[in-house]
Amino acid sequence: MPRLLLPLLTLTIAALAAMVLSVSYGSVPVPVADILAVLQGQGSELQRTLIMDLRLPRTLSAFATGGLLAVAGALMQVLLRNPLADPYVLGLSGGAAVGALTMMLLGLGGLFISSAAFAGALLATLLVFGLAHGMGSWTPSRLLLTGVVVAAGWGALITLMLALAPAQRLPGMLYWLMGDLSYARTPAPALLVLLLTCLLVIPLGRSLNVLARGPMQAAALGVSVQPLEWTVYVMASLLTAVAVTTAGSIGFVGLVVPHMLRLVLGNDQRLILPACALAGGTLLVLADTLARTLIAPEQLPVGVITALLGVPTFLYLLSRSR
Amino acid sequence: MRPMLLVLVVMLVPAMAQASQRCAVDDTGREVCLAAPAQRIATLSPGATELTWAAGAGEQVVAIVAYSDYPPQAQQATSVGSHTRIDLERLMSLAPDLVVAWVTGNPAEQVETLRSLGLPVFSIEPREFEDVASVIERLAYLAGTEVPGNAEANRFRTGMAALADEYAHRDPVRVFYQVWNEPLMTINDQHLIGKVVTLCGGDNVFGELPRLVPRIDREVVIAANPEAILAGGMGEENRHWLTYWQQFPGLLATRQDNLFFIPPSLIQRPTPRMLEGTRLFCEKLDRARARR
Repeated sequence: MPRLLLPLLTLTIAALAAMVLSVSYGSVPVPVADILAVLQGQGSELQRTLIMDLRLPRTLSAFATGGLLAVAGALMQVLLRNPLADPYVLGLSGGAAVGALTMMLLGLGGLFISSAAFAGALLATLLVFGLAHGMGSWTPSRLLLTGVVVAAGWGALITLMLALAPAQRLPGMLYWLMGDLSYARTPAPALLVLLLTCLLVIPLGRSLNVLARGPMQAAALGVSVQPLEWTVYVMASLLTAVAVTTAGSIGFVGLVVPHMLRLVLGNDQRLILPACALAGGTLLVLADTLARTLIAPEQLPVGVITALLGVPTFLYLLSRSR
Repeated sequence: MRPMLLVLVVMLVPAMAQASQRCAVDDTGREVCLAAPAQRIATLSPGATELTWAAGAGEQVVAIVAYSDYPPQAQQATSVGSHTRIDLERLMSLAPDLVVAWVTGNPAEQVETLRSLGLPVFSIEPREFEDVASVIERLAYLAGTEVPGNAEANRFRTGMAALADEYAHRDPVRVFYQVWNEPLMTINDQHLIGKVVTLCGGDNVFGELPRLVPRIDREVVIAANPEAILAGGMGEENRHWLTYWQQFPGLLATRQDNLFFIPPSLIQRPTPRMLEGTRLFCEKLDRARARR
């Protein structure tokens, strides 16, 4: 058990450090002493607004979103037994994007955008599930092919919407597609879902370990494969839907964080899944801090930073692993 | 006598208390009320900055966004990002007492955040010439600069009316207005620039298209065979979008040499500078009439 606990402890410390960093840095400097005062309910009104209304909710949203995406990515990779799988491979972000962009085209904001994104994500999930399930056998490769084709369809719709959109709405739509935490409203739902996921996923870890070796072996070892695969699919879809609803379709976290952790920690799902929640959250918190401050007052979309941070780290780990 | 005086005082006291409060309805129909004239204004689009300066409240502007380049002294205010992504922290730290936002240009969720933090947000979206004048008057009222603001609004209103009187009924000129080069974009009759075309006695060849800013094919321009082509360009003096049309001598506009440049900043922003842009536009169309 200490073998499992030590990495998780390290990652927890890293996550807390990242969150402290994120709350301490912004485009307006606030001294550490004042931040502590604000957290104790003191400090000036402006500082309270900066820390409690702007930075803290955004930091928590970033952590929750990153964690959800990384766990969803890890689950998809196990389910599809494909290293290229990420939370968006089955077209879920495409469905969410069509929902969100429709609301933007109609000039509606805030709650409309996030509800439409959530509805779109669920629709995409049901569509892929129904089509892959429709006739004959339900296999991961069938699911993958259906998902990829449906995703291409969503992609075409998105391009069509961008082409028809009035010029002044384009930047907002592109930012949403690149993923951006300034859309984040309240962090509570995403954090809650992340916490529940971690509690649900840990007892599944053993069966997932067996499933990762292939459905035949899993069945031979007494795992009821199909119900497990459905559970994993529904779960990964819900996590992704919540993440996309919070902050648009942030790329890269869901693909690369699980791989990074496997390179370092080995492929034990009992460890990888909670580790993904922590490491994904940490990466996104750091990336968002940079996105807010790097060229302030101009703001970068966080998706750019996750890729710029993640690509060299991942390549380094990959080259070291052999 | 005395009871009368008392009644008068009782009636006046609430009226005086309200007199210090200033309320105006913004372009989304929301009423924005200020306890005192705005002293620290944040303008979240280049157009909003320009209109606030036109309202005589330029000195009170403390926050602007990228490309707020007119009037030049407006750039001395602190930048809080771009109109598509606002640095909310920096904006809050400037403690604005009025935020002038752009309905379709600013991200809705960021504007909602500002409202939820208790800032008075006045959202604007001028779609008619009259809206430009009215936004200036409403901003001037909120900022307590009615004298210069109303004068500027009236200068714009009467100036546009005078141009309409002079040009709107002259012989129609079939016009193609090019907003952008690649992709090729124009405007329909509902667009503010489309209304400039009509005001100058022009007939927009793509005026009937359903979309406000249609993206079109070069072929349909040649097929429509406009008598005059007017364009902006990237930058204030770049004519090369127009030289492209010179390779088609069959085009009426090319044959008559009616390829005219209009500096984009004079006509593409809904601000009082549009008066100057419209005058230029009308003069170019008149030159096309003279060449018949």
